[in-house]
Amino acid sequence: MSIINYANKEIQFKIVYYGPALCGKTTNLAYIHSQVDERNKGELVSLATAADRTLFFDFLPLNAVVIKGFKTKFQLYTVPGQVIYNATRQLVLRSVDGLVFVADSQWDKMEENLESFQNLQDNLVRQGMSLDSIPYVLQYNKRDMPNLAPVHYLEYLLNNRGRRVNSFVGVATTGQGVFATLNAISRLLLQRFAREAEESVLKHQRPAATTALTGVTTSPAPATLRR
Amino acid sequence: MQTMPILTIQASEKLLCALEDFLEKSEANFALILDRGGIILSQHGTLPATADTNVVSALSAGCFAATRELAMRIGETDCSALYQQGANNHIFISAIDTEHILVTVFGKQTTVGLVKFYSARATKRIAAVLQDMQSGPGIGSLFSKEDLNGTEDLFVR
Repeated sequence: MSIINYANKEIQFKIVYYGPALCGKTTNLAYIHSQVDERNKGELVSLATAADRTLFFDFLPLNAVVIKGFKTKFQLYTVPGQVIYNATRQLVLRSVDGLVFVADSQWDKMEENLESFQNLQDNLVRQGMSLDSIPYVLQYNKRDMPNLAPVHYLEYLLNNRGRRVNSFVGVATTGQGVFATLNAISRLLLQRFAREAEESVLKHQRPAATTALTGVTTSPAPATLRR
Repeated sequence: MQTMPILTIQASEKLLCALEDFLEKSEANFALILDRGGIILSQHGTLPATADTNVVSALSAGCFAATRELAMRIGETDCSALYQQGANNHIFISAIDTEHILVTVFGKQTTVGLVKFYSARATKRIAAVLQDMQSGPGIGSLFSKEDLNGTEDLFVR
């Protein structure tokens, strides 16, 4: 779960990239890491097997905009896609704030996409969450491969819930769709953050809270950090 | 998503005091308070220059979660602590409560016994601060929807 830290003046969010094995989750993070300015990124850590398959998770910390003096920090994680690592996926999902489901667009991967999407829902339920309660977006990756399923078919398979979500076509190896996906989920998290702030106003009266949080600057005009 | 907790300046100072006291008594080099998802709440002391705190926190949270899961597979009901013994630097991770952990890095100047002893005291003190934080004020006093205008593209190519 994200937290507002007054000492460091930071708001931290955790985003997890989920999807079947070899769908391009790690490639998404590697591309982001290669493109973001040094000042706004940390080290990309991959806990992988000798064959470069994700064993535990990949991790990439990013800095983004400043809101009223508070830096927003996004921690990007991937899960291991292989079926046998389900216990590990559950661990990585802990305290998640937002999700990117990366699907493989090839026809012969449809069953794996569906299994992974169902597995995601099952694992969320185990943590007391659901896709209805957490921001998420879809990325239909590997659009440069032969034997592709049409986007409308992927939409039919994966984006057919009561709440339709944003979806993006991608070729993570070249970067197509990678930043659009990241921006979409980041924006959703900030919107949710704002909504929660509004709801919070109704629960807590301003004077009491302001007194407890001394030392807060209230200057407007957030500066945007970009690469 | 649960209500976002706020670490106030006062709470942050209390956590820092607890960590300072812990490091002084245990003679450890570095201490870090995390939630179990890897989010950093407080830190004090120094890490080796090659270590990135964000990476240490993500790996510590993952390591502790994996060990806890392993313990439960062999019939344990929980995992309260984890010790990694190195050649020069060692890591001791202990549970603060069900949502937070304390990561301690120490060298040859002290012993795991001393670190373990004082970490038990420190975690109780820290847990009390974090308990207060959970029931703290909401974020409405800090941000409004308008403050988020202009944040459409946080990351650009």
